[in-house]
Amino acid sequence: MAGFGKNELAARRGYSYRLTRRQFLIASSAAALAACGPAAVAPTAGGSPSASPGKTLKIGQLLPFTGVYAELGNSMRRATELYLKLNDNKLANRPVQLIYEDDANVTATGIQKTQKFIDQDQVDVMMGVVPTPLAYGIRNAVHAAKMIFIDTNAGGNFLTRDVPNCTPACKSPYIFRASFSSYQISYPIGDYLSAKGTKDFFLAYANYGFGTESAADFTTGIKKNGGSVTGNVAPPLGNADFAPFVTQIKNQPTKNVYSFFSGADAIGFIKTWNQLGLTAAGYKLYGAGFLTEQDVLKEVKDLANGIVTSLFWAVELDNAENKKFVADYQKQYPLLPDVFAVQQYDGMRALDEALKKLGGDTSDKDKFSKALEDVSFKSPRGDFAFDKTTHNPIQDIYIREVKTQGGQTVNTISDKVAKVTDPGK
Amino acid sequence: MSSELLFQQALNGLSFGALLFILAAGLSLVFGMMDVVNLAHGAFYMLGAYLALSVVQLTGSFWVAMLAAPLALGLLGLILEPLLLRRLRGRHLDQVLLTIGVSLIVVDQIGVVWGREVRSLAAPAGLDGSVALFGGDYPAYRLFVIGLGIALAAVVTLVYRRTALGMHIRAGVEDAQMLGALGVDIDRLFALTFAAGAALAGLAGVVAAPVFGLQPGMDVDALLYSLVVVVVGGLGTLGGAVVGSVLIGPADTFGKVLFQEFALAVIFAIVALVLLLRPTGLLGRIRIAR
Repeated sequence: MAGFGKNELAARRGYSYRLTRRQFLIASSAAALAACGPAAVAPTAGGSPSASPGKTLKIGQLLPFTGVYAELGNSMRRATELYLKLNDNKLANRPVQLIYEDDANVTATGIQKTQKFIDQDQVDVMMGVVPTPLAYGIRNAVHAAKMIFIDTNAGGNFLTRDVPNCTPACKSPYIFRASFSSYQISYPIGDYLSAKGTKDFFLAYANYGFGTESAADFTTGIKKNGGSVTGNVAPPLGNADFAPFVTQIKNQPTKNVYSFFSGADAIGFIKTWNQLGLTAAGYKLYGAGFLTEQDVLKEVKDLANGIVTSLFWAVELDNAENKKFVADYQKQYPLLPDVFAVQQYDGMRALDEALKKLGGDTSDKDKFSKALEDVSFKSPRGDFAFDKTTHNPIQDIYIREVKTQGGQTVNTISDKVAKVTDPGK
Repeated sequence: MSSELLFQQALNGLSFGALLFILAAGLSLVFGMMDVVNLAHGAFYMLGAYLALSVVQLTGSFWVAMLAAPLALGLLGLILEPLLLRRLRGRHLDQVLLTIGVSLIVVDQIGVVWGREVRSLAAPAGLDGSVALFGGDYPAYRLFVIGLGIALAAVVTLVYRRTALGMHIRAGVEDAQMLGALGVDIDRLFALTFAAGAALAGLAGVVAAPVFGLQPGMDVDALLYSLVVVVVGGLGTLGGAVVGSVLIGPADTFGKVLFQEFALAVIFAIVALVLLLRPTGLLGRIRIAR
């Protein structure tokens, strides 16, 4: 096993062996030797030789590469590497070293890996995290270690809010979010639809933290304009058979249905919706944007036509940054970017902008945090800035309708709700 | 619940139950014969679904896929049994552990070959519409699944009761060693049984794909449900697989709708109850620990 030790192999697969004393001695003396050697070799950057590169910037990326969210992790990894490639593998003149860890969508594993980033790798900044329970789970460890953490997906409201007793989580000066809060993708569309006169809704949502949070925020939105919820179905997350739930919807009178599903659940729900003939029976489907993102549309195609959703981005969004982003992404990879790629790309951009302000110095975490607070730029999604109070982005929310145009099923932008800020204190 | 709604939900439950039967029959068969809980059953199911996806993309025919995928899985079973399981015969726990290993490898390879995105398969032409039933429309494909489940149960019963192979299987379930002593080629019988179990898992994968879609993690769900069915019905008996799936399918459907806060708890409550009152399952027989 020359050059490829057992522990290295284990680490790549996401677990570790306990070291024997001999292995420890070999490893530590090797490390000591390496430290004595001539200036540690930085990963090749390919940058201009004129400016001498600074100290290597370590970014710890906690993403799922196995399990149900594996494709999200891959997408976010692609976006990270695209951003670095377009910037000569450097942020603020510091060569970048990426350390990926797979959380496998298991909260306990993710917490362990976070501790590894903090203690063992001693990364300068941490990014990623797909599931909300994991984001909540690592909040205290990250906060205590003053580790700057840019959340590039998990949307649970509490992560960027002031919460009594910090249960299940609360905001931290060191935590920023480059994605969205569930409020932002659910409340505005409720407010928007009810203000336009569509007031009564039946709800269908995946029965887990994020689904129930979204349903609650949507309900607050429609109630603001005198709307009401007439009932709900809540399949468990990762539900196999949607027919029982869609049958329930078909046997009640409220024609407008707001839903929160994503990925496999969204595909199953939309297909069953059509198989049971709900559109033909006059029912209309609304939802949070993940219901009709690319991963879903490429499988259900025109079955999704007419669904109205809200999100802070769409691949068809008409602005210069988005056009460039989509083109760059497609030049690098043989597929369209998705919303997860945008979140990660913006996370990298925000980090880059903050580092530039600091001259690349990440040693003072409070200064680092202040620099991130002041970041603002034009993103593929529109204007991007962090809310200084919550560290959640202030962003436009687009109302989108699925249409099939020229053989392609896409989200067309029909309207927007400008500058939506999470109400967290 | 109106009678119309009740009827539609009953159909939903029955079509789910029919799928569960196709899935669980193979698991039960292998256990009855070989005393091995094949934990790779879910992975075989998943492989069947992904193979079907590729066959449909290549040939455009769902029906070809419905033949090809079970055949391919059967062949895989025919190779795996002599290659791996036979070497550990008599060491049941080691065999079970081995099947976990097989499932990990199979699932990982599926990820490498087909990717880890969510995929879906359309119902075959002719069955993609709906049928008017008692004033409501019902998807034709789901009715087809119910029919297929019943037909399969009938065929398997016939093979069991009326053929020499069936006789050997029944005798093997009672006492495989004695059957071997009587001159029946046990190695061949075990390989065939394992292959048939894998083929049934593959068939379940194809049939389920248009309803449930294809995604990472589907193997675990399938394995869990099939274990629930055979535990409730009784491990190792065909009648047990029938009773288990006819009970669990509708129980799951009505449980999710009526008590949605306890959606998953309903079927596990049934499992707990059955295990308390009849530890061998509803139609299971007492097995003497060997």
